[in-house]
Amino acid sequence: MEHKQESLENIGTHVREILAADVHASDELRRGRIAFLEEVERRNAVPSYRRSLRPGSRRWLPLLFAASFAAGTAGLWIWMRPVTFQVGEARPGQLGDAIEAADGRATSLHFSEGSTLLLHAGGRLRVLSLATGAARVLVEDGVVDATIAHRRSAKTRWDFEAGPYRVTVNGTRFSMAFSASDQSFSLSTAEGQVVVSGGCQKTPTTISAGERIELSCSPHEAPQPWTGSPPAMEAPLARERDLAPPSKAAPEDAWRELLSAGRLSEGLRAAERANFERVCQIASAKELLALADASRLFGAGRRAAATLRVLRQRFPGTMDAATAAFTLGRVAFEKQHAYAEAADWFETYLREQPSGPLMGDSFGRLMEARLRSGDRTAARTSAQQYLRRFPEGPYSSEARGILLR
Amino acid sequence: MLTPLTFVGDDAALVEALRTGHPGAAAAFYDRHAGHVRLVLRSTLGPDDDLPDLLQEVFIRALNQIGTLRDVDRMGSWLTSIAVFVARAQIRLRARRSRLRVFSPERTRSWQLEQPSSDARRALRQLYAVLDRMPVEQRMAFVLRYIHGMTLAEAAEACETSLATLKRRLARAEKRFPEAARREPALTQWLEDGTRWNTNKKA
Repeated sequence: MEHKQESLENIGTHVREILAADVHASDELRRGRIAFLEEVERRNAVPSYRRSLRPGSRRWLPLLFAASFAAGTAGLWIWMRPVTFQVGEARPGQLGDAIEAADGRATSLHFSEGSTLLLHAGGRLRVLSLATGAARVLVEDGVVDATIAHRRSAKTRWDFEAGPYRVTVNGTRFSMAFSASDQSFSLSTAEGQVVVSGGCQKTPTTISAGERIELSCSPHEAPQPWTGSPPAMEAPLARERDLAPPSKAAPEDAWRELLSAGRLSEGLRAAERANFERVCQIASAKELLALADASRLFGAGRRAAATLRVLRQRFPGTMDAATAAFTLGRVAFEKQHAYAEAADWFETYLREQPSGPLMGDSFGRLMEARLRSGDRTAARTSAQQYLRRFPEGPYSSEARGILLR
Repeated sequence: MLTPLTFVGDDAALVEALRTGHPGAAAAFYDRHAGHVRLVLRSTLGPDDDLPDLLQEVFIRALNQIGTLRDVDRMGSWLTSIAVFVARAQIRLRARRSRLRVFSPERTRSWQLEQPSSDARRALRQLYAVLDRMPVEQRMAFVLRYIHGMTLAEAAEACETSLATLKRRLARAEKRFPEAARREPALTQWLEDGTRWNTNKKA
């Protein structure tokens, strides 16, 4: 018995030695410290209504009122002051002026309320109007990366016009491209949501984080591929292209051309005719994502999940495999209402692509999935993690709601 | 009068500063005790990606309960019991997640994918795999007693249970652990040759 205890104590000694030499210790302590002090600061920022003024402090009341009035006036001035913008590092921007990114260089626009636009080389735009929390921008040609600051104190509404298309934004990050020559339009959203209307669409389309849309009104000519997409911006959800031409490809390969043209429902039907299982074995990762999206969008959640699992088996460790994990989470959440499984898939995405383009959306959806699966403790942890990274993100109000429950 | 942002003082002054909301007290509290709390979490849980979040949770809980701390000299053991409470919840959470992983076997934690850098690391991973299969209360008694090196009384206090209950749990764990450990190759060697690592170190 004593020998057994001695043996166990020896094991303990070895474990302590290994733990003492743990190279992750300082990093874990540092991250824990940041998280703890942020939480303390957040708590201190919440006013304590339990405190009451002591009788002796009433003499300060007039001064307090005066200070409040001054602060209110200053706040009103800040709130009402005109919004300005700057082109590049120093040049003040003028409403209506054409701004071009010439000489092969991108040009940035910085707005005084915090929003920024990056006009890629060869692009041209005009800022048509500016007001507090609102703006109208005309994109005449080229690629624009937009980061729109969301104002909590006022409604935010930015409108981007590009040919026949209009993009309505209220605080988000996205990249859009418009070609004046063929009127083709593309948009990828990294955070938040935007609404795309106009063109040949019958109804406006909402594009959420991680999604992408490609549109063209040209009836006889397929749009040129968009070459100006920002790096690492994935396109898991290509949508039907408006009025794209019919396919003339051979029947066995028709699905490939239809998918590449963005005609998902027709591509899906062609893949079914050509033996769906065989198609899954020869399709590229992008084609599998498109097939999964087609299945998901047209009501076949199980087929979408099966396609995504094939993708993860055939292309393990890739960005597309991680995107498949995220989409599997969406299918489990939206189609199957399997919230615990959905949470697992969103966690998988975050583990495989901790800084990926769908990171913010994954954190937000993970929080919701955990809440709906009844795991309140885990939902609170996710809410804290989300707010730490995205204090003003699209899921921030839900996260705060979870923490207040 | 300006209050200095950096707190200076002993534990008694620190507790008073935390209760009155001194701006530098929280940081001083963390800096003074985080190393100990991390070791409790790390030894009870093994490798865990959520460790920074768990550290935060322990200190937030401690801050919420600072009014209940009666004996300032026992701050270390008080924090240990909070850390044990948080670790126990985390073990149960991991067990629930692990059951879910049955339906998606490819989902594996990042540390499970790491290649062992030495025999010791492999043995350590097998040790926590064995502990993961033990009932959580037996696991906590075993870890606090043998891995964290606490006395029986200290372990009982950390688990917020009686000495008799802790002894009972520990006796079961002492029987169960070697049986399971002998099925793990790296641990078998460790169990049978308790001094091997020390010998290697001397060499």
